[in-house]
Amino acid sequence: MPAISEELARFLQSGISVLTGTRDAHNVPDATRGIGVRVEVGGDEATVFLPQATSETAQANLRDNGQIAVCFSRAMDHRSMQVKGELVELRPADERDRTFMERYREELAEEWGFVGLPPTVTYRMNTWPAVAVRFRVTAVFVQTPGPGAGAPLAAQAGS
Amino acid sequence: MKVRLSELHACFQGVIPSMLATCSASGEPNVTSLSHVYLVDDGHVALSCQFFNKTRRNIAENPYATVIVYDPLKFEGYKLGLRFVRSETSGPLFDTMSLRIDAIASHTGMAGVFKLISSDVFEVQTCRRIEGFLLPAEIADVPPKASVPGPLTELRGLQVVSQRIAQAKDLDGLLASTLEALDELLGFQHSMVLVNDDCTERLVAIASRGYGPGSIGAEVAMGHGLIGKAAERRRLIKLTGLGTELRYGRAIRERHVECGESERLAPEVPLAGLADAQAQLALPLVCGERLVGVLAVESRDPLCFDDWDEAFLQIVASQIAVALDRMQEDDEEEPENEAELAPAAAPQRVRNFVFYRNDDCVFVDGEYLVRNIPGKILWKLLSRRAIAGQREFTNRELRLDPALGLPPLKDNLESRLILLRKRLAEKCPEVRLVPVRRGRFALELDCAVELSEKDCG
Repeated sequence: MPAISEELARFLQSGISVLTGTRDAHNVPDATRGIGVRVEVGGDEATVFLPQATSETAQANLRDNGQIAVCFSRAMDHRSMQVKGELVELRPADERDRTFMERYREELAEEWGFVGLPPTVTYRMNTWPAVAVRFRVTAVFVQTPGPGAGAPLAAQAGS
Repeated sequence: MKVRLSELHACFQGVIPSMLATCSASGEPNVTSLSHVYLVDDGHVALSCQFFNKTRRNIAENPYATVIVYDPLKFEGYKLGLRFVRSETSGPLFDTMSLRIDAIASHTGMAGVFKLISSDVFEVQTCRRIEGFLLPAEIADVPPKASVPGPLTELRGLQVVSQRIAQAKDLDGLLASTLEALDELLGFQHSMVLVNDDCTERLVAIASRGYGPGSIGAEVAMGHGLIGKAAERRRLIKLTGLGTELRYGRAIRERHVECGESERLAPEVPLAGLADAQAQLALPLVCGERLVGVLAVESRDPLCFDDWDEAFLQIVASQIAVALDRMQEDDEEEPENEAELAPAAAPQRVRNFVFYRNDDCVFVDGEYLVRNIPGKILWKLLSRRAIAGQREFTNRELRLDPALGLPPLKDNLESRLILLRKRLAEKCPEVRLVPVRRGRFALELDCAVELSEKDCG
């Protein structure tokens, strides 16, 4: 069974907030907003895109130890998931990735529009140039606030 | 670029969710979104802990954290490097954070279920704007602030409001002119005053601006929602980014339902005023030791209220509280000239009033009109008019009538008469309570009245 099911992949790729966590050699954490995620290899790997301008620390951390956490959160209802992983590849994003990121930003603008953030504001998010961070998924957690927040996905009844 | 925390005031209003990264002792990073980061002082922030989760475990193992907050007007992002200092489970910071969460919990039917466990205080070691997060802005992209703030404008406004309070001749006029001044001079378009009814443990709206007549008589139970919580705790509550907060509360509620814990939940409480309010401020009206009511102000602008607004609205609230208390005491003035009442015009329409004895509730032509003490007062007035032809009544005779159940001290009679007068104006304008002089009023009828009493159920 893949780490990320098809249903979960649809949610993760649906134009919702992508928050990336990394840490340095001294376990000091860093947070960076990601610009979309592409689920790869049938759900066992994923690629998160980070703007070059805002991800220097995250890139240095990933080169140091490869540990990554990505939180996905939908503004409308706070449905949230967190995916943990280990770095497979860090490379500059290409034109195909760029198209993917621009479509993500359009979907995010629509999603945030529902909760009152004007699309013109979302479109100001700088996305290019960017890096593609491919990682192997090691765990998935339910992160929606409330009882059971932080539990592994497999432990959730009905998930 | 380094910035001072105090310059980021708008980022801490909870309008755009923040982002928090932590790391376990074994080196596993964790990242989550946060509905609210609290600014404690220029060197500290606090995060609310409502659930024991991975973030909490990580902080216990490794005190470092990174938070990203966003400016809701410019959408600039700021990265804060944090180091955990302590958890507080009591004290002013905990109370302030807890009150906000309790108000959201109460609104979403989760009182006692969704609550603050601790206020986790962090030292802010670095604070920088995230360079290159946004593309250069078109000037038009940045929404201007709705109003030009500044102590001078608001001090002048405050002066006018104070004057109106001091000059008001009666309670109705006082509340109407105060709310009007808050709107016209200070830009608070939606406001209401609710008075505390000690007999029913409920707050009842007796004056409002910006909501239409249907809001008069709206009731809030003590301890329920933002207004009820402000009254119960006798503390100001401000909720900004209300849409975000309520969505957050509803998400938690949904999780309780999914986890089979729905029996612990109560129905969601409708917001007392605007259905789409983005910011609400509820100020308890306290006179001496006594809670007399609540001043509630709200806006569709999530950043409508700043600290200055809170400060001067508290001054206004104190003045309203004292005036409300004072005016409840007014008894009848000596008559100057006993003027003859003009004979009433011949009644045309017939209005049918029913008094439901077991819940002190009055209906007119099948529609709910008023209940509790104002209901009993109306019934007394209509009955005395029908039986003895009495046209004028005094506050004193109402106070002396044990059947009405007015409390012996601080009976809120003026407030109850205002509520009754306004409910009549809305639902049955042919029946009016017209002040004759202070402490005395006339019952005017432009219709024939039929009275009947029933037990409901």
